[in-house]
Amino acid sequence: MDWLLAVRFDFDTVGDFLFDPIILRAMRETLTIAVLAMALGIGLGVVLAVMRVSHNPVAVVFAGLYVWFWRATPVVLQLLIMYFGMRQLIEDDLFRDNWTRFRAAVITFALNEAAYMAEIVRGGIQSVEAGQMDAAKSLGMTNLQALRHVILPQAFRVMIPPTGNEFIAMLKNTSVAFAIGVVELLNAAKIQSARSFKVMELYTVAAFWYLVMVSIFSLLQAELERALTVSERDRPETLLSRAMGLVAGRRGL
Amino acid sequence: MRYSKLGRFTLILGALALVSALALAACKDDDDKDKTPAAEETPAGDETPADGADAIDISSVPELEDGVLSAGSDIAYAPIEFYIEGTETPDGVDVDILNAIGEALGVQVEFINTGFDGIIPALQTEDYDVIMSAMTITPERTAEIDLVPYLNVGQGVLVPAGNPGNILGLEDLCGLTVAVQLGTIQVDILNEQNAQCDEQMTIVTFDTNPLAVEDLRTGGSDANFADFPVAFLDAEESDGTLELVEPAPNPQPYGIGVRKESTELKDVLADAVQAIKDSGTYDEILAEWGLESTALP
Repeated sequence: MDWLLAVRFDFDTVGDFLFDPIILRAMRETLTIAVLAMALGIGLGVVLAVMRVSHNPVAVVFAGLYVWFWRATPVVLQLLIMYFGMRQLIEDDLFRDNWTRFRAAVITFALNEAAYMAEIVRGGIQSVEAGQMDAAKSLGMTNLQALRHVILPQAFRVMIPPTGNEFIAMLKNTSVAFAIGVVELLNAAKIQSARSFKVMELYTVAAFWYLVMVSIFSLLQAELERALTVSERDRPETLLSRAMGLVAGRRGL
Repeated sequence: MRYSKLGRFTLILGALALVSALALAACKDDDDKDKTPAAEETPAGDETPADGADAIDISSVPELEDGVLSAGSDIAYAPIEFYIEGTETPDGVDVDILNAIGEALGVQVEFINTGFDGIIPALQTEDYDVIMSAMTITPERTAEIDLVPYLNVGQGVLVPAGNPGNILGLEDLCGLTVAVQLGTIQVDILNEQNAQCDEQMTIVTFDTNPLAVEDLRTGGSDANFADFPVAFLDAEESDGTLELVEPAPNPQPYGIGVRKESTELKDVLADAVQAIKDSGTYDEILAEWGLESTALP
């Protein structure tokens, strides 16, 4: 069995670092960046999607170019350009003081995410039957009113699963912000392991917390999907609903 | 219609497969090319070293049975190790010294580019035979691996031209932001200094030293802390925008890292370092890089 764990693995180190304040602080950084960037990305993505399905040729072309540009380059390269490049370009102290690593990371991830969200929202809008728009207009609604009150609420349900995927991807992708010196979960683990050489031990700690975060958000996403399902029959069962069913004495799973 | 659609689908799949096969083949070609420069520089395995008289016996060294000494190195640390501009050929004082050692041992030398923060674990999992990567010998590192000393190098602090923070020693870095490379001795030195600071300094770490220097250049940090020859070259090549201060001229030896169990390899490497010193090759290499002051005492 000497091929197994040929290089020693120190389980005590994993235990020591699992609740280390440095690691927990870094996890908060990961969550903050991901949540802020996702919120901004969704907002901007909706605007871009509406531009893309509009009848204004300038808006259509702009949104198309935007999506093309931000999807065509790796996000780590975008980070390097947005942080180092912008600071090199604008040698103004006021700008440099305000263009911090954290802000550059949030904005870059948000701008990148907006491109993907625009496509998801567009797909959602186009999944709603064209007749719905006609019906809304025949009631005297303007295009934007119809979009807001009729189309988007229905598109929303279609968009939930892919948006959840995007958020989970975002949580993990924040790790590339290390390129510009942001200390989030994986990189806090890297920094600690560089001092102690307990590399796999620290990677295990990071993996554990990513699993915990992603699991929690996956459960929340399932609940959200259940809550947004209109017909009782199609409503998907979730862990929580099954557990509640069991408690309430409902039969079967 | 069904069949023709299926046919088109198959055609697309086939084209995709062909493209990926070509891409893979291209990668393989590149791999081969990578190896040729090193192979040309050093003599083949069975040749006797130039100064044959005191040839080193490597027959008992398992790592060298294949006639190749493979070295892990973070090749982004000019002038110690770097890629010649526009090529994938490694160069630098480390590269020259290890090639000379390979010549003395009668083996080929192969450099493998590796991130510095994972360079010791990768040696332990046998990704390569040795580490040749400007590695300062520290107690923490010698607890993990053995190191054969071959250079003696001090530290340097890089600041914006004119030294606006008036930094003369490490203690002047307190309260400032310092950019360094992850996993380096400089991180440890700064952490030690931080323990004595009233106002804590912010230590920002990067995967490579050039990124840390870029952070200083764009004003994200107030100083960069690196090995002296590296900081010296960075200052020289900065078009006068950066300046070098030498706060603690406290040279410490670099070592060639080997696994704890590689005792035979460690012995022949020490012999080879001695051999190139005796033959004068060592001094020639240092003179060529202007690093005579880093010679081992």
